[in-house]
Amino acid sequence: MAHRVDNEYDYLFKIVLIGDSGVGKSNILSRFTRNEFCLESKSTIGVEFATRTLQVEGKTIKAQIWDTAGQERYRAITSAYYRGAVGALLVYDITKKLSFENINRWLSELRNHADSNIVIMMVGNKSDLNHLRSVQEEEGQALAEKEGLSFLETSALEALNVEKAFQTILSDIHQIISKKALAAQEAAGSGPPTQGTTINVADSSGNMKKGCCST
Amino acid sequence: MLRRHKESASASDSTFYQLRADCAHNVPDTKFKIKIGKTLSVRKWHAAFTHHGSLHIASVLNRIQSGGVHPAIRGEVWEFLLGCFDPESTFDDRDHIRQARRIQYARWKEQCKHMDPHVGSGKIITAPIITEDGVPINDPLVLLEATAADQQPGSTTTTSNADESSSSSSSSANHRLTDKHTIEWKLTLHQIGLDVLRTDRSMLFYEKKENLSKLWDILAVYAWIDKEVGYCQGMSDLCSPMIVLLNDEADAFWCFERLMRRLRGNFRCTQQSVGVENQLQHLASIIQVLDPKLHDHLERLGGGDYLFAFRMFMVLFRRELSFGDSLYLWEMMWALEYDPDMFSTYEESGPATDRSAQGYKPRVKSTRQFGKYERANMKSATNGVDGPVPISVFLVASVLKENSQKLLQEARGLDDIIRILNNVNGNLDAKKACAGALKLHAKYLRKMQGKKA
Repeated sequence: MAHRVDNEYDYLFKIVLIGDSGVGKSNILSRFTRNEFCLESKSTIGVEFATRTLQVEGKTIKAQIWDTAGQERYRAITSAYYRGAVGALLVYDITKKLSFENINRWLSELRNHADSNIVIMMVGNKSDLNHLRSVQEEEGQALAEKEGLSFLETSALEALNVEKAFQTILSDIHQIISKKALAAQEAAGSGPPTQGTTINVADSSGNMKKGCCST
Repeated sequence: MLRRHKESASASDSTFYQLRADCAHNVPDTKFKIKIGKTLSVRKWHAAFTHHGSLHIASVLNRIQSGGVHPAIRGEVWEFLLGCFDPESTFDDRDHIRQARRIQYARWKEQCKHMDPHVGSGKIITAPIITEDGVPINDPLVLLEATAADQQPGSTTTTSNADESSSSSSSSANHRLTDKHTIEWKLTLHQIGLDVLRTDRSMLFYEKKENLSKLWDILAVYAWIDKEVGYCQGMSDLCSPMIVLLNDEADAFWCFERLMRRLRGNFRCTQQSVGVENQLQHLASIIQVLDPKLHDHLERLGGGDYLFAFRMFMVLFRRELSFGDSLYLWEMMWALEYDPDMFSTYEESGPATDRSAQGYKPRVKSTRQFGKYERANMKSATNGVDGPVPISVFLVASVLKENSQKLLQEARGLDDIIRILNNVNGNLDAKKACAGALKLHAKYLRKMQGKKA
């Protein structure tokens, strides 16, 4: 993926939203990017995108979020989904046990197809439907800890924790990238990069474009 | 005849596809207007039939190409446009075919009902009823979830509850299924349910539970008879208009089945690809030939795979346009692509097959019986092994080309491409867009022929 140098933001991060059909991925996205929630939301066909630019740890970050269809057969275009993605929000529905049980499948899909450095956050959505809950928050927390993921319960309907979820994953990504950039500089042993130097952050492709002219 | 609306001819089509009062503000406006002298009117339509019922298709196509179809007769007209009937058949022939098809549909539905008693029951499943290895799921937790879906905001549909499922499980027993097709079919049922509950819910029409279950039943039966495609997200968007336009469930099913002949290739998935990628590649090569600068630009921005057009092809602009406007666009595309031999080729190949890739047979019919786009293809005889490229590819290409300057100047990322196209597509005028597609098609054919020479 190529990004032209632009003064509007410091970093462009591609995040994918994945999880079973009907868990609320598209509404999480619309809550985050447009502060909207749609009761008559429609199924996602293949892949849809949206972006939002925000401040994270003093940097301007443009989050490019790929919303994906939950139906398994659409995973055939997997390589395009994951190409260049630096983060994944793995969503389940707290009222649907099966969507939680399927988290393991989604994790193995990420491990098979995404960059090994991808930052993953697990999200239990629909926390407003507490009376219908079938996955306890502790269960979510325990699984996240076991798999080494960050975790939050959200409600796209009540705008609860959606912002926080994205802030968390974006700052996690930012920290990793800053560390890598620093390490790269030290390895090069020649101080800060000069104009035109390309820094490779992830193994896959250049998602970082500050002070560099990645193609 | 299947007429359901009796409003006056001058009505705008919002009279026909009414929205829920609380949803009117968040759907696109409808631009389609019934134009006297242009739109195919009820009177013109009836006048196009001979005494015995054979249809003068050329005059009908002309009208549709110039102003769409009056919503009051859309269902009947679509049956011809989609190839359910031969225009040269008589009233009697068609009655006969219709009866036979209704019986066939009832038979398939009965088969499905036998496998899963929810079919035809007025109920919709939204949670899996079987595991991937064929073990029926009837533990109370899942059943509870299924009932719970009923209480979610916006959902008005009954889902399976413990009572029914226990009675159904006693009949189908708890033994493990082994037939691969049956398992696959059962695994799609809840996905269909999840999508039916999210299809065109801003329309008053779907406030009626029976219409929702019609949609679920038709998609469930289709998934059973088309084993290769089954059900894929997006198909509910394509099926919904048929149910709105045709009162009889079986008639709606057959219209949908005909539409799928054209589109099922898009939904066919392998491990590595989705069928629609074929069309995305066609689109890429057309833009490469006709606007190489734009193609390079898109590629630079990470859009060289044209995935941003994925949904446009899958559901033919249904998500960009209002309900009425997308129907107007569809009928215009089908009129342009019309081939009077469609009926016979479909009948020969049997249900749930592709639109035919067998190339052109010598035709005895007058070219006036063909749509304009089809005529241009016949003249140049430029068809690949996959058969003709659908007009939708040129339609998207012409939208891109028309906005080439804007895309080149303003798009600095994938999101800009999508934003620009969403704005354009929301205001798409079906007639202008089709005219643009035809022009681009002609240009493309000239270029390709120049290359060959």
